Amino acid sequence: MAVSPDVENRVEDASRVRSREIATRVLLAVSALLVLAVPFLNASPFFITLLTEALIFGIWAMSLDLLVGYTGLVSFGHAASFGFATYAAGIFAMNVSADFFLSTFVAILAAAAVAFFTGLVVTRLSGIAFAILTLCICQVLFQISVVWRSFTGGLDGLIGVPLPTLFGREVEPGEEFYLLTAVTLIVCYLLLRRVVESPFGKTLLAIRANEDRAAAIGIDVRRHKLVILILSWMTGGVAGTLFVFLKAGANPMTLYWIESGNILAITILGGIGTLFGPIIGAIGFIFIRDEVTTLYRAWQFSFGLAFVLAVLFMPSGIAGVAEKIWRRLWPARS
Amino acid sequence: MFVNSLNGIIYGSFLTLTSLGLSLVFGLGRVVNFAHGVLYALGGYFFIIFLPSLGWVAMVFAPLVVVPLAIAMEWLTIAPIRNRDEIYTLLVTFGLSFMITGAIEYLWGTETTLIKPPVIFQGTVDILGNQFPVYRLFASALSLVVTGLVFVFIQFTPVGLKIRAITDDSEMAEALGINTRWLLTSIFGGAAGFAAFAGALGAPIFSVEPEMGMGIIIDSFLAVILGGLGHLPGTAVGAFIVALAKSIGGGYISEWAIAVLFLVVAAIMVLRPRGVFGRGRIA
Repeated sequence: MAVSPDVENRVEDASRVRSREIATRVLLAVSALLVLAVPFLNASPFFITLLTEALIFGIWAMSLDLLVGYTGLVSFGHAASFGFATYAAGIFAMNVSADFFLSTFVAILAAAAVAFFTGLVVTRLSGIAFAILTLCICQVLFQISVVWRSFTGGLDGLIGVPLPTLFGREVEPGEEFYLLTAVTLIVCYLLLRRVVESPFGKTLLAIRANEDRAAAIGIDVRRHKLVILILSWMTGGVAGTLFVFLKAGANPMTLYWIESGNILAITILGGIGTLFGPIIGAIGFIFIRDEVTTLYRAWQFSFGLAFVLAVLFMPSGIAGVAEKIWRRLWPARS
Repeated sequence: MFVNSLNGIIYGSFLTLTSLGLSLVFGLGRVVNFAHGVLYALGGYFFIIFLPSLGWVAMVFAPLVVVPLAIAMEWLTIAPIRNRDEIYTLLVTFGLSFMITGAIEYLWGTETTLIKPPVIFQGTVDILGNQFPVYRLFASALSLVVTGLVFVFIQFTPVGLKIRAITDDSEMAEALGINTRWLLTSIFGGAAGFAAFAGALGAPIFSVEPEMGMGIIIDSFLAVILGGLGHLPGTAVGAFIVALAKSIGGGYISEWAIAVLFLVVAAIMVLRPRGVFGRGRIA
């Protein structure tokens, strides 16, 4: 079995499970409200900007969770989905229209197209080969973004992407843009939740558990992998669009392979196969990085160490541990 | 153009040294070692640290320090997860490469250090009208000699035979009484030693900086996949293909060449998963 979170398979009492599910939903709704309430809680502009970036990384990490957590495909090239979208949205916003919906739509479409062609090839593989192949494809995009200067701005990247507009009105940086990001995150979460809980999502879990057996019972493994890859890239594309508007520019380094490793580490540390775990991972990553880099220079060392320890001893991540505690609080075994 | 390809050949001989280790470790334990690049970087750093006190003996001493470090690393992080899915070794070694790069930056700063080659090799030599540093030729020749020694070791010694047996079929090899566990640990250490040696030897050419390992690891991966995973002669050829593609044309054209190279490697992984020579293992 590929990378997967702990699964408790004990028989549980149905009505108690139901009450726990309701409690989980209440908890999620409260955290969603809390996220939306941040700008009204007298937070500093710096905090707001940092949290905006964290939520964008959260959407990106969530999109990777679809592959790693739900399908067992460890992508080492997920920077491609994000970075490619920053260029697509950025170039569109600079030359055609900075309308948020239109830019997002274009970026999603572009990401989906690249994911489709990538998917035709990478879905043949799994495991290590999938990881290395996705890394290679991401590096191709990285090289192109560096070399195709007239289109991408080379190593300088795109500079001077305008502020996004929403219904013809400019979205102000800071609190307004934060709210836009937060709403996007919540919408993405709810949509992806539906996907992973659908029969399609359950089929993905079967592929994760054992690809050969899944194929043997008649599941079209390659088509499922292709669809989830496209969906994952589209979600990553949403994150990329928000990012290019936040930074008012795009940079080829967002396509570098180490960035793919970063987001993979964030997703796994947060807890794969949960969707909300990667969001927690992203928030933790952005805020701790900010704290630690200003205090002392050992950020990269600490992050690497945390990741190694997590892979060795806590492969289900922060969310996995949180879920265990949550299950303790709401025991459902009779 | 000529100088470019000569530089390509020189980089290729270094890349061969680092790729060989990567290929060996994959062949033996199916471990994809992302941390191989930072071991190369550590070699460079230990070399410039020992250089003032030890002189050029440091070039041999630096790998000797890296080997036990690598063995400890393997023993602490890779050995415990050998029974889990292969992908975990890739994740753990990626984390390790982050840790070590971070440690290097923390301990020795982010500056780039370029040291002078030893006095006897400081001159230049005239090749077809181009002035070329002697040290580059010497270092390249030396790394090729070391590569040759590795080949001889693998091909003609009893331990080499065991290594080839495990690469071929690890379960069968184990059934015949070969201690895979122990051999993997020692080869991991040995591979680290060669990478560290390449880092030390290359210090006067490519300079020493914290990210140096992150750059060479990707090139090494390309070389290993081109040649066929676990297939050593193929790996050597792959290393030279990668190095030449990166240097020919220089600057702008080579950036396009690298993009094409990644595409070629991606195509090989799908169409010829055993590498160009069809002799490697399937990932």
